Amino acid sequence: MNQFVTLFVGGLFLGAIYALVALGFVTIFRATGVINFAQGSVLLLGAYVIGRLHDSIGFWPAVAAGILVAAAASVLVDVVLIRRARAADLGTLAILTLGVNILLSTELTRQIGTDVLSIGAPWGSDVVEVAGIRVPASRVIAGGVALVLVAALGVAVKFTDWGVAMRSAAEDGETASLMGIRLNRVAAGAWALAGGLAAVGGLFLTSFPAAGVTPDAGLVALAAIPAVVLGGFDSPAGAVVGGLIIGVVSVLCAGYQDELSFLGRGIGTTAPYVVMLLVLLVRPSGLFGTREVTRV
Amino acid sequence: MSRCLFSITVVALALAVGACGKGGDDDGGTSASGGVKTGPGATADTITLGYLPDLSGVFAPNGKAMMEGANLYWDAKNKAGGICGREVKLTVQDTGYDPQKAVAAYQQMSGDVIGLGLVLGSPITSALLPSVEKQDMFLNFAGWTSDILPNENVAIAGTTYDVEAINAIDFLMDKHGVKSGDSIGHLYFEGDYGENALKGSKFAAGKHDLKIVEQKITPADTDMTGQVAAFKRAGVKAILFSAAPPQAASLAGVAASQKLDVPIVANGPGWTPQLLTTPAAKALIANYYVVSSMAPLSVQDDGVQEFLSAYQDRYPKGTPSSNGSLYAYAGAQIADAALAKACDDKDLTRKGVLDALRSIDSLDTGGTIAGTLDFTDPSKPPGKLVYIAKVSKDAPGGLESLGEPSEAPDAQDYDFGGS
Amino acid sequence: MSRRAGVLVVVIAVVVLAALPIYLEAFWLQTGLFAMAAIIAAVGLTLLVGLAGQLSLGHAFFVAIGAYGYAFLAGTDVPGADAPSGLGLPPLLALIGAVALAGVAGALFSPISGRVRGIYLGLASLGLVFLGQHILQNAAGITGGYAGVTVEPFSLFGFSLSDADPDRLVILGVPYGQLERLWYLGLVLTAGSIWFGRNLVRSRPGRAFGTLRDSEVAAAVMGVDVVRYKAAAFTVSSMYAGLGGVLYALAFGRIVPDSFGFLLSVDFLVMIVIGGAGSVGGAAAGAVFVTALPLVLNHYSGSLPLLAAPGSGGVSAAELSRFVYGAAIVAVLLFARDGLAGLARRLRSPALKEEVT
Repeated sequence: MNQFVTLFVGGLFLGAIYALVALGFVTIFRATGVINFAQGSVLLLGAYVIGRLHDSIGFWPAVAAGILVAAAASVLVDVVLIRRARAADLGTLAILTLGVNILLSTELTRQIGTDVLSIGAPWGSDVVEVAGIRVPASRVIAGGVALVLVAALGVAVKFTDWGVAMRSAAEDGETASLMGIRLNRVAAGAWALAGGLAAVGGLFLTSFPAAGVTPDAGLVALAAIPAVVLGGFDSPAGAVVGGLIIGVVSVLCAGYQDELSFLGRGIGTTAPYVVMLLVLLVRPSGLFGTREVTRV
Repeated sequence: MSRCLFSITVVALALAVGACGKGGDDDGGTSASGGVKTGPGATADTITLGYLPDLSGVFAPNGKAMMEGANLYWDAKNKAGGICGREVKLTVQDTGYDPQKAVAAYQQMSGDVIGLGLVLGSPITSALLPSVEKQDMFLNFAGWTSDILPNENVAIAGTTYDVEAINAIDFLMDKHGVKSGDSIGHLYFEGDYGENALKGSKFAAGKHDLKIVEQKITPADTDMTGQVAAFKRAGVKAILFSAAPPQAASLAGVAASQKLDVPIVANGPGWTPQLLTTPAAKALIANYYVVSSMAPLSVQDDGVQEFLSAYQDRYPKGTPSSNGSLYAYAGAQIADAALAKACDDKDLTRKGVLDALRSIDSLDTGGTIAGTLDFTDPSKPPGKLVYIAKVSKDAPGGLESLGEPSEAPDAQDYDFGGS
Repeated sequence: MSRRAGVLVVVIAVVVLAALPIYLEAFWLQTGLFAMAAIIAAVGLTLLVGLAGQLSLGHAFFVAIGAYGYAFLAGTDVPGADAPSGLGLPPLLALIGAVALAGVAGALFSPISGRVRGIYLGLASLGLVFLGQHILQNAAGITGGYAGVTVEPFSLFGFSLSDADPDRLVILGVPYGQLERLWYLGLVLTAGSIWFGRNLVRSRPGRAFGTLRDSEVAAAVMGVDVVRYKAAAFTVSSMYAGLGGVLYALAFGRIVPDSFGFLLSVDFLVMIVIGGAGSVGGAAAGAVFVTALPLVLNHYSGSLPLLAAPGSGGVSAAELSRFVYGAAIVAVLLFARDGLAGLARRLRSPALKEEVT
């Protein structure tokens, strides 16, 4: 039983990180309707900046730098590319971000090379023990940060001007702009926010118990896709719930690999997608996504 | 009029087509120069070797490190006069770890090379084998899986992952108190590397009544929390590791944090000195061992020290690695031996090089590969011995060898099966 | 006169294509074969996504069924404990069987499209790819697991498309080996696929697909059986994928599970978007672009000395070709929003209104 609880709790904390990455996807999708395939390489970029700079300027300044750079890169993608092709259909835009992903990740892989960059977090490999369950300190902090960010975002979206502008732009862009909302500003804000979230997610994904910043870190964004889908592509709450579910599923499948071996080995990578498929069959727009209504 | 035009055009085209075809593939062309029979890839002044590393895909860092080692060896060799009075040239093509690219790249170079000095990756090698076998090419395989055996054309640098695993279990029982009836965890990559190692560990486990607790992962898995929890639940007394450095750091770190204080023994590819800069360094220094045919860089044998000083001269900012640059250096030694013997036999054709390779029965690489290599039996790996090393902060390359290369008694009964 | 000129152009094209194996080196024939397989599969995907409006990221799964299906159906039992089994059917039957298998798989997946729509359908089909990878890696008895499986060369009425007897067939001084012979099979299959696809687009079922994409409700109101047509769209598209898979398998000679993963599915999507969704010719152009560009870049980058010694921090030729590939995707999409087909349309008839597909 203790094992199950350890795994479950571990999965929840991992899921919190996935939730951050998923939230990034959802933010961009809600504001501009684009699936941003470049999210993975932006995540890697943020982590890379922190990894390279923490030695010279200290950990916390490096984190700030990483978040800024990732946000800026994200906005750059929006301003330089997406805006130009705004009129194109969404499939084209998604593939455009894919092209950007290839460029960015090739360059980052080249820079990282054989290095395993340590992220330099002050909490190192410390472990926290609560009620007999040992969880890495970095994961507890990740969970805490995720909670704070999600709450702050929720409050901001509901109660601030900017939040209202975001929601109205997502609801009906044309009317919103007629009412004086600068769509371009809203979009840039959403992309910057997504970049920042990716950087934070990247920071925690490359902390203990992972080894450090390696080119594979960018692949995590791929793992967050089932989370986004099963939560509902346009629902922040869905992204959070989806992230948590996927985190728990991955860790449980790994932990019980022996018992599940009749399904074949290595079920941990496939399980999130199977869960996603099952959820979609029951709720075709994800758990919290807006259901498509056809007006005749 | 248009009908006339039509037929004239067709006839003209047919004539043009007939005028200049590419001619037959000049595969069997041989000629003699200076009393030595030469074939494709060898002329009077040069010998050309093909290199197919991964320079832009998943294994790009390894691939690049390998090219460093290869260039190091061949440049020195050429300065000393080359082989058979000929300069050795390298044709390098990136495969991107993509079988499609690899096949295309191979097609491009196959007409001009005498053999393949390095091919990185089992899926790549699998894709190329049909053509390689047809063209009698020698292939230096940058990998240590026995799945590829038996094969006339393939040379492996030492022994294979399954034998490494058998040696690992022998080491654990001998020196770390693992007894009959105990459980050992095995964390391994999906694919030829991990699953080949698993074959060996299952064999040894069967011989000693040990239980193997399997955990299969992929390179994208960087968090070993679930896996360690499963190992802890099964009460493992040791863990075998057949994956890559990022997973190693995660495994050691999480195991330490969950108070699973057991020795971890890894195959060669499971180590890089940079792991000593990660938060898991302390855990690795306490519990991590590496079993491999490739020498740890701290070994004092001539071959290794020569490599190390040459590397540090040429790449002062680089990091030498046992299964990257040292591997390619050792692979070049193997190719050198085969080419030199072929030269002695006055036959620098592809078949000649292959025959020369298969006649080598005790190649001493000066310690870069454990023991001596015997290529006469294509169904067995050429090496039998392995180095066992412990992680050490002060040793160059981060590994300190625990004594002379050795061989586990179990390994002698191991049957490579063939696939 | 213009009709005769059109026929003349086609004849010249046929003669040129048929004569190419006489001139082209192995590298170009190999690349061409890969491109042909991609064209067939891409046409199938554009019919599904562009024409019928059903987003699918699972195309690689159906390609894998075609490839592994052919390998299994045509494969002979190789002795050895780890070797995968095979049924040893004649290659032509195996080809038809593999295509049929892929079609059945597509038909089985189509009910999901009735429940799940749009972007969710696309990502649900992505799940298929991962499931497929899992099966390919674990069902080693049939698929050979991670080690892969050797593919039986194609043969028709005793004439083998392999290197078995190269001197038996010598045309204009050039011995015809496996690649040269496969070239013709590839040409026939590709031409047939394009022709069939084009006809489908212009036919009644093609228009029904179009209505399905524009509005399911309107289609139903007009008497189009939505469920049946969706199933048909998936079946046709996966049959194309299966055929492309068979050609892949023949062109490779040995297939491994890694080749049929997420990256391949994304590649197909890139192909049809670059080509212009819904256009068969565009899909073909996109397929050639995505398949051949990295291979050709690699081919020529090798002749430049490596731009920087590995490890010294410069840009190597390999990375340069990745950069160019990514930049090319971005450039094409920035400047040709409707893909290459849209570009061609605009260049051909700037004054005329756009064709309604």
